[in-house]
Amino acid sequence: MEKDKKEKLKIGIYELTGCAGDALLILDCEKELLDIFNAADIHSFLMAKSDNIDGELDIAFVEGSVSTEKEKKELLDLRKRAKVVVAIGICACFGGIQAAFQSQEEWRKNFKAVYGDVKMTHTKPVQSKPIDSYIKVDYYLPGCPIGKEQFLSTFNRILRGNPPELYRFPVCVECKWNENDCLLNKGIPCLGPITSAGCSSVCINHNLPCVGCWGPLEGANLSSEFQLLRDYGFDHDFIKKKMANFSGTGMADFLGKIEGDKK
Amino acid sequence: MKKISVEHLARVEGSGGITATIDGKVVTDVKFTINEGPRLVERLTVGKTPEEDVNLVPRICAICTLSHKYAAIRAMENALSVKVPTKVHLFRELMHLGEMIESHSLHVYYLALPDYVGFPNAIAMASQFDLEVKIALEMKEFGNHIMKTASGRYIHGENPVIGGFGKFPTKEELLWIKSRAIQFMPFVLKTVNLFCELDYPDCPEDNTVYACCNPPKNKYGFTGDEIILSTGATINKEDYKSLTNEFVVSHSYAKRSRYQGKPYSVGALARVNNLGERLKGKAGKMYSKYFGPRWKRNPLFNNAAQALEILYTFERIPRLLDELLKYPEDPPLVKYSAKKGKGTGIVEAPRGLLIHSYEVAEGLVSHTDIITPTAQNAEDIERYCYIAAQRLLENRKEDKIRDRMDLVVRAFDPCISCSAHLAEVKKAPQDDWKEKLEEVKKKGSPIYVGVGKRTRSDDGLGIELALKLRNRGISDVWLEHEIAQRGGPWKNKHHRPLVFLDAVDFREEPGKIVLLPLHYVFSNTNLSHKLLPFISGEMHYERLKNSYVLGIQPESVQEGKKMSKPVRLSMAKVLVQIVN
Repeated sequence: MEKDKKEKLKIGIYELTGCAGDALLILDCEKELLDIFNAADIHSFLMAKSDNIDGELDIAFVEGSVSTEKEKKELLDLRKRAKVVVAIGICACFGGIQAAFQSQEEWRKNFKAVYGDVKMTHTKPVQSKPIDSYIKVDYYLPGCPIGKEQFLSTFNRILRGNPPELYRFPVCVECKWNENDCLLNKGIPCLGPITSAGCSSVCINHNLPCVGCWGPLEGANLSSEFQLLRDYGFDHDFIKKKMANFSGTGMADFLGKIEGDKK
Repeated sequence: MKKISVEHLARVEGSGGITATIDGKVVTDVKFTINEGPRLVERLTVGKTPEEDVNLVPRICAICTLSHKYAAIRAMENALSVKVPTKVHLFRELMHLGEMIESHSLHVYYLALPDYVGFPNAIAMASQFDLEVKIALEMKEFGNHIMKTASGRYIHGENPVIGGFGKFPTKEELLWIKSRAIQFMPFVLKTVNLFCELDYPDCPEDNTVYACCNPPKNKYGFTGDEIILSTGATINKEDYKSLTNEFVVSHSYAKRSRYQGKPYSVGALARVNNLGERLKGKAGKMYSKYFGPRWKRNPLFNNAAQALEILYTFERIPRLLDELLKYPEDPPLVKYSAKKGKGTGIVEAPRGLLIHSYEVAEGLVSHTDIITPTAQNAEDIERYCYIAAQRLLENRKEDKIRDRMDLVVRAFDPCISCSAHLAEVKKAPQDDWKEKLEEVKKKGSPIYVGVGKRTRSDDGLGIELALKLRNRGISDVWLEHEIAQRGGPWKNKHHRPLVFLDAVDFREEPGKIVLLPLHYVFSNTNLSHKLLPFISGEMHYERLKNSYVLGIQPESVQEGKKMSKPVRLSMAKVLVQIVN
């Protein structure tokens, strides 16, 4: 009971550009939601409450990628106010699907193709990027959307001042736990070996290949996966694009490295 | 900006707002803004395989995720000539009904109801509506459960794919859904009574066009291959552009749509208006009991329509499951070999008509067009908010404008990633029209049209002004009768703004000058305007969007009287502003 006497940590949950699926998933933790709200002081959570405060924070959870000047400014301000920043979801961690355009020029061309020459009066658009393009991020919680169990455990650990313990293995490990047949063995382009675990290998459980929506696993053997798919006869560009579908600019570094394999 | 209480707006995602600008007794501007950044989804899908597209596009919106998936799959299967077996169709319908339950129950109980029973949010409402709040949450969870069963996850499940499903649920899982649906029925009927008997305010009310999917075989439902309008017209899905006519506005990253130059509405109310006669069983009885002429004119009835649809859905699920259970064999994915094609898929997302259209060439997506319900509703959201704000202002209830606009926006159940945390009322500074006129001039050199009758005192100001402008050497100035003889001077000059000069009765001090978008004058029955029937028939939506009325409040429009002094002074001001 002593803990109750201690001051509760101040927490904020913020949404930048994305589908709001991560914030929605937190709200979907219906049974645990009250405990979350009791365990900490939720200072800001626009999707769930109105009396939001913009002050000092202990922990900020940020969803979505930076896609406008306004978001960039808000994020920089948030970093100053928060002791710990946690990127939640693939858009915040890697840029998400909207970070598909690698170069500024390519992005501009595509922006023009959609919006024409209309000058936006409300906020200036910028090429979508993960939040660590602008600020230091303390922890990353991948997912599209994030997983409930992983969010709750991460929330708990950070609340107690411990770093989160995420799965440091690919989807394949969960897939074996679930006793699925390997789709790669059947020549189906599955991204399980290079993708962070945590989804409980849901797609392969449904006989469908992993699409990589949780983003690349740190230290995964990307070249090996690439070669394997090449051996199965898949086209270089096809593989490259497939790997970058969900992680956009987050994949860019690696994609640069394998450019040499083109022949 | 002032913030409204959003606790009950859980599930309004993204950030946006609605702002009304007031100048004296006139609302001069209403803007529904969406601050969400640009994601360029239609462009980033180009070059991807059809399967990858189906993985990517549901990420547009976490709430309508399965509607996006469904629309994309239907479009791709059309484009690639994939025919799926009956069981796949039935299971897709089930997944779609799950999303309908999840979204509608959340919206009516948690978003809308607190406003009508006088509570700031759903949690506060629980003190009086304990049972409703609890069971509504269970109903939403039931919707989520169906979505998870069908798609693999609560959000962004990948199980539905082109050609079928990766995996079908077991018979036991389906039977559980069936029995659970039946258990909810007493609460569902209570829900319909509650929302159809709410006292919806009669402001704003006005006619609009409603659009939705036309389900085949004269049935109610949420998919189809053509669009049906409240005018009785139908549009083949491949010709959807004749409905939507998308364009960009500078205050939002979501595109806008107009049908024949006019805003239209999509959503539950559109469906009940267009298809309600087709409802059978208990939903049919409830429709006959509650449906009335106000449903055709008042967007607030969307909540009543959503409640009727919850009933339809719960009646449909047990029958649908009986049909599904007739097919014990799980069909494998339908393989296809087509590498090119063109196809459109339309479904009803909970908040309205959702259109996906693709072209595939050499096995890759070469063109994507996605039109979301909120983008289609945006123009009508602005129009109804304008009507509400103007009416309340006339009735000296200015303090109610903000809350009423909030109510209107919320009734449309908007969804920003695909909306409104904030409603704001702004006071225009004096001489607001000057700033506005300068903004108009920036868009291109305006074409001026003088309107009125010179013999009727102040009504002659439009013609007088136009003649003076001519004398000062301003080009492209027209008089009313010249247009009647020769047609509109705006042909082939769409990029140039069109400004009508006229006496407009704002019930203000004589001489008051206001610059209004022309379409506000259409929506406002109090502002008299002779040219209107002619103009509305003649103008293209792009033209209309770039047209304005520069009005001066007359003192008198009596035949034979001279022009009044305040109007003369104002005319001089206008003249200076235009010429400079």
